Amino acid sequence: MSSIDWKSYTPTLIPNIKDYHKIDVYEKHGGYGALKKILKDPSAHTPESVTNAVKDSGLRGRGGAGFNTGLKWSFMPKPDGGPRYIAANGDESEPGTFKDRVIFEYNPHTFIEGSIIAAYAMSVSTVYVYIRGEYRSWIRMMEKAVSDAYEKGYLGKNILGSTFSVDMIVHSGAGAYICGEESSLMESLEGKRGYPRVKPPFPAQKGLWGRPTTINNIESLANVPLIMNKGSEWFKNIGASTHPGPLLYGISGHVNRPGVYEYPTGMLISELINDVALGVRGGKKVKAVIPGGSSTPPLRGDSLEGVRMDSDSLREAGSMLGTAGMCILDEDTDMVDFLWRVSHFYHHESCGQCTPCREGTGWLEKTLLKIKNGEGTTRDLDLLLDICGQMEGRTICALADAAAWPVRYTINRFRDEFEARVKNTVYALA
Amino acid sequence: MAEIFIDNNRYEFEGPTKVLQFILDQGLELPFFCYHPSLSIPANCRQCYVEAGQPVMNRETGKYEVDEEGNRVIRFFPKLMTACSLDATDGMVIKTHVTSELVRRGQKDVLEFILINHPLDCPICDQAGECPLQIQTYKYGPEGSRFEHKKVHKPKRIQLGPRVVLDAERCINCTRCVRFTEEVSKSNQLTIVQRGDKNYPVTAPGTEFDDPYSINTVDICPVGALTSSDFRFKARVWEMSSTPSLDITNGKGCSVDVWTRDNLVMRITPRHNPHINDYWMPDAGREAYKIYNENRISRPDLNIDGDKVKSSWNNALLTIAENLDTVKPSEILVLGSGYGSVEDNYVLGKFFSVLGQEQAHFVPNILAGTGDNFLISDDQAPNTNGCRFLGFNELKPDSINKEITSGKYKTIIVLQEDIVGRNLITTQDLSNVFMVYLGTNNNDTSRFANVTIPVTTAIEHVGSYVNVDGRVQRSMPAKETVYTDRRINLEMSMGRLDHFGTRFDNWVSDKNKVDCIPAWEFFVRLAHEMNKEFQYNDVREIISEISLTNKHFSGVSYERMDNELGIDLVNKQKEELNLA
Repeated sequence: MSSIDWKSYTPTLIPNIKDYHKIDVYEKHGGYGALKKILKDPSAHTPESVTNAVKDSGLRGRGGAGFNTGLKWSFMPKPDGGPRYIAANGDESEPGTFKDRVIFEYNPHTFIEGSIIAAYAMSVSTVYVYIRGEYRSWIRMMEKAVSDAYEKGYLGKNILGSTFSVDMIVHSGAGAYICGEESSLMESLEGKRGYPRVKPPFPAQKGLWGRPTTINNIESLANVPLIMNKGSEWFKNIGASTHPGPLLYGISGHVNRPGVYEYPTGMLISELINDVALGVRGGKKVKAVIPGGSSTPPLRGDSLEGVRMDSDSLREAGSMLGTAGMCILDEDTDMVDFLWRVSHFYHHESCGQCTPCREGTGWLEKTLLKIKNGEGTTRDLDLLLDICGQMEGRTICALADAAAWPVRYTINRFRDEFEARVKNTVYALA
Repeated sequence: MAEIFIDNNRYEFEGPTKVLQFILDQGLELPFFCYHPSLSIPANCRQCYVEAGQPVMNRETGKYEVDEEGNRVIRFFPKLMTACSLDATDGMVIKTHVTSELVRRGQKDVLEFILINHPLDCPICDQAGECPLQIQTYKYGPEGSRFEHKKVHKPKRIQLGPRVVLDAERCINCTRCVRFTEEVSKSNQLTIVQRGDKNYPVTAPGTEFDDPYSINTVDICPVGALTSSDFRFKARVWEMSSTPSLDITNGKGCSVDVWTRDNLVMRITPRHNPHINDYWMPDAGREAYKIYNENRISRPDLNIDGDKVKSSWNNALLTIAENLDTVKPSEILVLGSGYGSVEDNYVLGKFFSVLGQEQAHFVPNILAGTGDNFLISDDQAPNTNGCRFLGFNELKPDSINKEITSGKYKTIIVLQEDIVGRNLITTQDLSNVFMVYLGTNNNDTSRFANVTIPVTTAIEHVGSYVNVDGRVQRSMPAKETVYTDRRINLEMSMGRLDHFGTRFDNWVSDKNKVDCIPAWEFFVRLAHEMNKEFQYNDVREIISEISLTNKHFSGVSYERMDNELGIDLVNKQKEELNLA
C-alpha cells in the first residue's frame, strides 16, 4: 500500500560506494562538482539564485523543527562587510538520534561541499562545525576531511581560483545536550556557559558575537549539493510532497536490524519496522514507537496503521517527525520504567537557566521514580500532568517542552499501565 | 505618542522601553527576581509573566482592524510572555495578574517551582523581612506545596571571598551576582557551575571573590543565598531604622542608607542615585560603620603633662579660650578638613575670621593611583571640594611641617584631620605649639593634642559634603548623641516597629550614645565663652548663610539636596556662566 517506491530507491546521501569518505573517491564520483559549477560561473549562480533553488526544493531542516532551509537562509540580512557565520549543528544529543554520525563517517565531503555552497549563498566566510564531545572519533574523521578539503583548495582563500573564500572550523562540544539548541550552541562556541539566549533577537540578526548567523543541521547541509546537482524539481519529487527529500532514518530499539537507513521521507512506520529493520526482535508486537527522538510523543503500537514518517502524517497521529531517530519498544517494555529513564535524561540535561525547566524536570523524575518503585498514588499521575502544564511553553528554549511532552503523552496513551502500577497504593476510604 | 494598554488602562510611552520597566515606572507592581534595571536581561526566573497582544493592522488600509462593536481586534501571543524582555510597541495590550487568571496561575506555578528546592529557613535567614521571594510568595504564591520528595542538597556556608558567604541551597539561579561581576564591576569572578537543579554560583577553583565591590551582590541577591560575612546574623531587618546618608570613606561620596539599632550602626547599604553611584557602592564604604561605632572620643580630653585626662565641656572651653586670648590672630593656624562637613568648616573659618585670622587652610588627602574610575576615587575625604569652594587655602602634604616649624604659629586648631597619623608632621615638631583637635575617633593626633573636643560624625548631625565631581549631598542624624534626642529631632527616621514607648522600641539604652557635639556648635559655645558676637541656632541658618554669601553654593538648600539627590555645583556654575 506504500505509494513510495522505496525498494528501488538508490541512496544518495550515503551511497554504496567503497571509501566514499576519502576525498579522491568523492571527487571521482563527481564530488565538489556542484561547487565547481557555481564558482566557475558566478553570474549564472548568484547567491540569491542558490538560496532560491534550496527554497524551491522544499528542503526542511533535519534537526527537528523542520523549518524550510532556504527560507531560513533568506533571513540573513544583506552583507555589510562585517563577519557572518554558519554554525553547522552536529551536536546530535537527542536520545535515539545517530544519523549525523553516519555522514561524518561515510560522506563528510558532501556535508563540507554543502556548507561551502551555503556559505556562498549567504556570503559567509566562516563555518563552524559543532560536534558533540562524545563523538571523539568522528571529530577526528571530520578534522581529517576538512584538512583534505583545505589541501585540495575547496576551503580557504580564493576557492578554486575564484574571489570566494571560506574557512571551516571543527569545534568539539563538551557533552551537554542543551548545546544542541541553536542559541546555546552559539554561547558554547563563544566559550561561554551553554545557556540558551532569549529570542528575539534571532540568530540571523544577532548570532555569534552579535553578528548574523545561520544554524543548520549537518544532514540539511549535506542535502544541498544534491539539490545543486540534480535540481530542485528532482528533490521535490522524492518522498512526501510537503516534506521531500532523502531522509536518514535512525532506527533503534527492539528490532532485528537497527541502524541508519536512507530512504525517501514519508515512509510508512510499519514498513520501516517490518521491512527495513526486519521486524521486532523475537517476533513480538510493537507496544510503542517514538518517531523522532525521545522528546517526541510516543505512538501506541496499535495506532500505527497508515502513519507515515512525514510531518503532516505524524502531526495527525499526534506526534512529530523530529530527527527521524525512531525508537521501537516491544510489548515487554515497562512504560513506567521507560518514562522514568527519559525523564532522568531531561533532568540531567536541563541547563538550569529557567525556573520551570530547572525545577520541573527534577520534580517529574522524582515523582516517576516514586511510581516506578511502587510507591506512587493515582494523585501523582495527575500531578505529573499538572507539572507538564506548568512547564510547556514557559521557558526560553524548548527543553521544557521536550521534557514535558513524553511525560504527558506516555501517561495519556498508556495510562492503564501507570494506573496498574499505582493501584497498589490506593488508600482505602477511611 | 505611542500608547500601551495595561489592565485596561491607557498609558503613553516614548522611545524603546521594556514592558516590565514601564510597568514599574508607572508605580504598578509585577513580581520579578532576575531583572535588575542596571543589568542585562536574562529572562530566566520567568516570574514576570504577562499576557501580551498587539492590534491587528490591515495592510491595505494601514489601519487597525475593528470588530463589530468597534473595538480593536487584538492578536495575543500564544504563550505567556516575560515582561522584562518584551519590547513595548504601539497599541500593545498587556494583561497582568490584575486582570488575567492565566497570569495569576503562571506566577503561582513559577513560585511553586522555585520553592520546591528552596530551604524554608526564613526564621534563621538574614534576608527575611526584605526578601523578594518571601514577599512575593505571600502575595502571589501557592497556598502550600505538592512536592513530597527530598530537596536537592547543595553546599552551604561557602566563603566565596573575604566578605561574601554563599548558601547554594537558597540560590534561585537568577544570575544577578554573575551578571554584576561581568557587567558592573567587570571582575568576572563569579560563574554558575553544575547543571539543572544543582546549579549555583561560585568562583573559579583556586580564586576568591575579592572584588572591591563584592558586597553589592549581597544587596541584589533576591534571596538569602549571598550574605555579608560581616553583617551575617547581627540584626534582623525589622529591628533597624534606615536613614539616607552618604559614604564618608571616599571622595566619590556614594549615596547610602545607614541602618541603625539602638544607636549603633549595623550596616550600610547603597541608595540608588543615578547621578553618583547608581545602585552600587564599594565594599570599603560599608566598613564605615566601625568609624561610627568604635573607638569614639566621648567627652573632651585634656593633655596634662603627657597624660590624657577626661575633662568637662566647661573646662575644655575655658582652656581653649584662655589660650586664644594669649596669642595674636596671626599666630593661629586654622586647619579645616575634607572630612568635616561644609557647615563645620564654614563656621570654623568664620569664627577665626571674627577673631582676626582670615585664612583657613586644609591638606587634601589624595592618594594618587588608588582610584578606579568607577566608585573609588583617589581622594580619600568626602568633602575636599567643599573646602575648596569655601576658599580654604590648599596646603601640600609636605608644606604643613614647614609652616609649623617656621615658628610663625603658637596655636593650631585642627578640625577632623589626623595630621600625625597621616605623617604630615611629627609629634616632635608639634611640641612647641598648643594644639586643639576636634575629632570623632581616637587617633594619633587626638592622643597628642593639648585639648581634644569630640565632634559628631556624619550620621549624628546634618551636614553637607561636596564630592569629587562637585555634587553636594547632605547627611542627617541616624543615631543619637548625649545631646540630641530623636523625640525632638525631626530629622531622625524610625523603623517600622520602632515607635516610641512600644515594646519594640529599640532605642532604650544610653550606653551607645556618644558625648559629642557638632563642631559648629562648639565654636558657638567658644564664642560665648570669649564674649564674641557669634551665634547660630541651628544648621539650617548656616547653610542658608552659605548659600547667600558663597557663589559656589548659591541656591543650595537641604530640600533641594533631598529632592534632587544632591546638587551638581560645578555644572550649576556652568549654566550660570552660559546665561551670563
